[in-house]
Amino acid sequence: MSNAPKLSIVLMSPDMEKLHAGALMGSVAAASGMEVNFFVTMEALRMFLKETVEKQDFKVSGVGEKLLEKKVDLFYKMLEDAKDLGNLKVYACSLVVDVMGWEKEDMLDLIDDIIGVTAFFGIAEGSQIMVI
Amino acid sequence: MAGVHIDKTVDARGSYCPGPLMELIKTVKAASVGQVIEVLSSDQGSAKDIPEWVKKVGHELVLNEKAQDGDYWKIAVKKVK
Repeated sequence: MSNAPKLSIVLMSPDMEKLHAGALMGSVAAASGMEVNFFVTMEALRMFLKETVEKQDFKVSGVGEKLLEKKVDLFYKMLEDAKDLGNLKVYACSLVVDVMGWEKEDMLDLIDDIIGVTAFFGIAEGSQIMVI
Repeated sequence: MAGVHIDKTVDARGSYCPGPLMELIKTVKAASVGQVIEVLSSDQGSAKDIPEWVKKVGHELVLNEKAQDGDYWKIAVKKVK
């Protein structure tokens, strides 16, 4: 798969709509044969905490409210499912993990590893990078 | 519809984009080469999105039509590899 087209997505915003759009594009790309790597940083990473998901403590506005109301599969479910269908990895930003005092166990199991930007650039090399 | 042999039908009606596509991909992966998988979708995007995926991954689109008896699409894909 090393010559598969690659896509890298940086999730920064905690807004449900942005997480949903990013997860949706990434999961479709992975299911279509692309290698997809997510880097989750800043307040977006808070939305990947088990506690946030258990409490459904999301930042929503119009579309996000409808996604919840209509029980659409949310960003974390899409990412989990996409891992079964293709090559998709999700990395947590080590800076945010360190300054917030979080542990890997605090985050959803779909987080593959905690890495810094240098490692992410290595993983993302040669790919398009989308920042959301 | 006549003449198209369907091995398996995935009813993804009520599921939002990209749900029907993802359901289809899951089923196609588990199917044998030569089998035809049909997906029923009420999502507006599927009739455009699914053929695009089929083209990209190299399967064969055998059916893409709006059902006469309702507001949904019937899209069938033959797994060719």
